[in-house]
Amino acid sequence: MQSKLSDIELIEQTLAGNQSAYTDLVKRHQRFVFTLAMRFAKGREDAEEIAQDCFIKAYRSLASFQGQSKFSTWLYSIVYTTAMTFLRKKRVATDSIDDENIHIQIENHSGYDVNNVENKSKSFYLNQAIEQLLPDDAAIITLFYKGEQSLEEIGQAMGMEANTVKVKLFRARQRLKEKLERNLKHEVKELI
Amino acid sequence: MNNMEEKLWEYIDGRCTPDEQESIGALIAEDESIRLKYNQLLRFSQELSAMEIDEPPMAFTYNVMEAIRAEEAQKPLKASINKRIIMGIAAFFVLTIFALLVYAAAGIQWSSVNIISQIPSVSKLPEANNFITRPVIMGFMFFDVILGLFLADTYLRRKKSTKQL
Repeated sequence: MQSKLSDIELIEQTLAGNQSAYTDLVKRHQRFVFTLAMRFAKGREDAEEIAQDCFIKAYRSLASFQGQSKFSTWLYSIVYTTAMTFLRKKRVATDSIDDENIHIQIENHSGYDVNNVENKSKSFYLNQAIEQLLPDDAAIITLFYKGEQSLEEIGQAMGMEANTVKVKLFRARQRLKEKLERNLKHEVKELI
Repeated sequence: MNNMEEKLWEYIDGRCTPDEQESIGALIAEDESIRLKYNQLLRFSQELSAMEIDEPPMAFTYNVMEAIRAEEAQKPLKASINKRIIMGIAAFFVLTIFALLVYAAAGIQWSSVNIISQIPSVSKLPEANNFITRPVIMGFMFFDVILGLFLADTYLRRKKSTKQL
């Protein structure tokens, strides 16, 4: 059972030495932090490593959190920088989604039949298509739709201007639609 | 159409001014192609809002808190090294130097007028060659190397911990 205290109250308690308050904060935000990490890492093990690293870093720097933004926005900025460092270290290919190799992967991955499509949820296909986007596009869509973050807050977390985020969000949604059309072909009309 | 799509997204996201909202609302009501596009984008937006997010492993919270506890456990030891041991060593050196100065000052005949001329006869400095032998030099060098490695290790650890933050 998660605490009903606000993020700020939990932070104050953590800073006063109550570690169980931080456990509640982790429980509250772990799903989204993990999902966001998945947008960059594309693998559960790596995403777990990034997410864990983020919560440890956040704990270390908790005293420096001024409360000028939402705790979630501050936490997502840590996720973003940690994930970018991770990508640089791992040298993960961040090639365009139009890359020929990725096309082949997608074609193989989406080798579906009608029954298979019916059995799987819309959410599964959306997540699958998001995974095929560039990390920044995937992160912006996830932050906007699931992170309850405004364009300004996303900009703050990702170190961009709100206007840049707006343009990127528009393009990311277009690319996502293209991915879905490519992945699901005829079924996409039911989905979007 | 791209421009229209952009406007429709702003309308759906609720980022329009009241005037824009009114004009786009009127366009949706009047133009069937725009209405179709709007409905398509709205459905897509609703699907995105409703999509499920990933679930981390069961032991995720436990692992995070264990890592934090392990890090916290190291802190008191570090603090005691910094405050007590280092201050103790510093106090020992300060006291030793002070005692040596007191001892040296006690041996000087302050009443003598021509103290400078007496120094060579009073202080018989020991032969340096008796002390600076090969084992002493080797020992000194070894101590320097160890001290150098210790300082380098401390510097790198500090750099690493700063980077992690």
